[in-house]
Amino acid sequence: MASADKLINTDVPEKDVFALHFLQSLSNLKTQNPLNSPAKSIDRVRKIKKAAYVSMARAAGGTSRLWSRALLRRAAKDDNKSVRFSRRKRKVTWKISSKRRKSNNQRAPVVEEAAERLRNLVPGGGGMETSKLMEETAHYIKCLSMQVKVMQCLVDGLSQK
Amino acid sequence: MSGRRSRSRQSSGTSRISEDQINDLIIKLQQLLPELRDSRRSDKVSAARVLQDTCNYIRNLHREVDDLSERLSELLANTDTAQAALIRSLLTQ
Repeated sequence: MASADKLINTDVPEKDVFALHFLQSLSNLKTQNPLNSPAKSIDRVRKIKKAAYVSMARAAGGTSRLWSRALLRRAAKDDNKSVRFSRRKRKVTWKISSKRRKSNNQRAPVVEEAAERLRNLVPGGGGMETSKLMEETAHYIKCLSMQVKVMQCLVDGLSQK
Repeated sequence: MSGRRSRSRQSSGTSRISEDQINDLIIKLQQLLPELRDSRRSDKVSAARVLQDTCNYIRNLHREVDDLSERLSELLANTDTAQAALIRSLLTQ
């Protein structure tokens, strides 16, 4: 069922796509400003980190997920670029309405407390209703751990001299 | 274009999410957490516990990304492009 959809919104994080994007950004970084300038070390780490997250968001299907969409938006904002997601303009419907908020409060306070903390950790989580938040979190975790694995692979590969 | 949302039967976005659906999502999350993955057959882990552990796990992963970015930065500073290209070809195979 919904096989055509699955093709677009792959649920399994694309390891190869991430690796390719990430390496591409790394080599771009290297040509843009030589990495062996020690004064810019912190800046360099920040850029690599950002490249990793952006690559992850792209590998996760770009703007098809709320978290990847939020992450890319944040990254673009960081670049002082105007953000345009012309291809997939969807109306923002996951905002918490006052009615929904009330129903949420009927859930155990500990659960909502923990969910609130999650909202701060998942990109774009601030506006998500709890069930949507959990769905996005599950996908975000899968992608994050994939990202860590690939980065670790890279570090290991580069360390062997 | 409604295909992506077709999973939820009550198609209206404002309908209330049932406790069953929340529980399903909690279990789905739990199975992604290394610490809680194996305890799933024994006692039922509380939703709050799963969410708390999820937060910790995400924080750990973020920290790992930070560390790995630092290490990559160091390594790349000492690596010529030829080597980077080699890694690249290895990964794309």
